[in-house]
Amino acid sequence: MAFVEIDGLVKRYGSLSIFEGFDLHMENADRLVLIGPSGCGKSTLLRCMMGLEDIAGGTIRLGGDGYIQGAEDGRMTLDKRVQKDVGMVFQHYTLFPHLSVLGNLCLAPVRSRGVKKSEAKDKALGLLERFGLAERANFYPSQLSGGQKQRVAIARALMLDPKLMLFDEVTSALDPELVVEVENTMMELAEGGMPMMIVTHDMHFARSIATKVVFQERGKVIEAAAPDDLFSNPQQERTRDFLRNVLHIAG
Amino acid sequence: MDFDFSFLAEYSGVLWRGLLTTLQFVGIAVVLGLIWGFLLSMGRTSANKGLYWVTTIYVEFFRGTPVLVQLFWIFFCLPLFLGVELSGFTSAVIALSLYSGAITSESFRAALKSIEASQFDACTALGLPQGVQTVFVILPQAVLRAIPNLLSNVVSLFKESALVSAVGMADLMYVGQNIANNVARPIEILTAIALIYFAIGFPLTRAVSLVEGRLLKVVKA
Repeated sequence: MAFVEIDGLVKRYGSLSIFEGFDLHMENADRLVLIGPSGCGKSTLLRCMMGLEDIAGGTIRLGGDGYIQGAEDGRMTLDKRVQKDVGMVFQHYTLFPHLSVLGNLCLAPVRSRGVKKSEAKDKALGLLERFGLAERANFYPSQLSGGQKQRVAIARALMLDPKLMLFDEVTSALDPELVVEVENTMMELAEGGMPMMIVTHDMHFARSIATKVVFQERGKVIEAAAPDDLFSNPQQERTRDFLRNVLHIAG
Repeated sequence: MDFDFSFLAEYSGVLWRGLLTTLQFVGIAVVLGLIWGFLLSMGRTSANKGLYWVTTIYVEFFRGTPVLVQLFWIFFCLPLFLGVELSGFTSAVIALSLYSGAITSESFRAALKSIEASQFDACTALGLPQGVQTVFVILPQAVLRAIPNLLSNVVSLFKESALVSAVGMADLMYVGQNIANNVARPIEILTAIALIYFAIGFPLTRAVSLVEGRLLKVVKA
């Protein structure tokens, strides 16, 4: 049994169909990077896994437990464990602007997990220390750079000890010189053994962090392979076309 | 035409009391209107159809009728239904509170609607229960965003409050009119009244712009 099992996923926005029976499996030790043309459903996939989207069919399982079960009538079943076990970081930070960095980190543990305030604070300060953000603990999001905001968002997700982290284009909104600090933070997490699913347009980063790269197009997995294989020796014509285009654009 | 403002000194005591009356009932109406408006906005954004419609009709009615008519209705008609006399002060407070509640609820509602969908996504991703999400994430941001609008509502209410002179309440406007009639010098006295309203209204409007600039910086992360 794989760590993550997505079987027969169906997702539609009105008459627009994103997935009609999408399958994807991931092992515990994997860092899976999703690449593909925009609009192919990479971000939607992560949002479905987080329970942010109604799915019309299929199941999403984590660690052997079925936690999201799609239904045609829009009444999908969502096991609350999903939010306990999965952490997500978004493109536009989505920090809570009225709370300090510490407030952002401690809100969920204190208010929904019943962690003691002092314990949450200690843990938060530890994480911030580790990310080189300790002196920013009492700053508000508006006082931080984009890179700092995104690293705070990562720390906020880690406060809940997720078993899997989802990264949805987390560097796409950043100025180029700030991308590295966020990518380094993700690399550090990767070295610590955190399973991840990452959507990114940065192919160099994809190659360096992934254990497996999935190329998807029009709601289907076209090719999935180890990064060196997929980037150096893609088997599918469509993968080759895509890589030629993006790598050319990226210079 | 010759102008003589010197006689105003003689009336400064009366004008001062008129101004205090104005500030008093506007102050009460602002506080009551805030509470009432907040409750109304909850109804206006509620999933409960009945609650939604009742509050919507209320708000649209009070936004769509002249304040003067509302004031007259409260002052002349409401006592007939209740069977008790209402003082000018009470009528004014009731009318202005009901009106400002309707206006305030719109400010709150707009602020609630302006919270980005991504904030809700973040709450879901963190597994925040609905109540925690509302109390600790959505409401504080909505209130912060509503503040500039709420302040300009206060300015409007302060100015519109001059209408209560029409039901014989001795506010600043009423006192002014009385003096004007007594001394037959409407130009000087009405100019003075306008300047007094302006002296209070203008700093308030400036405060609104100031607060707006500051808050936007904080709220837009």
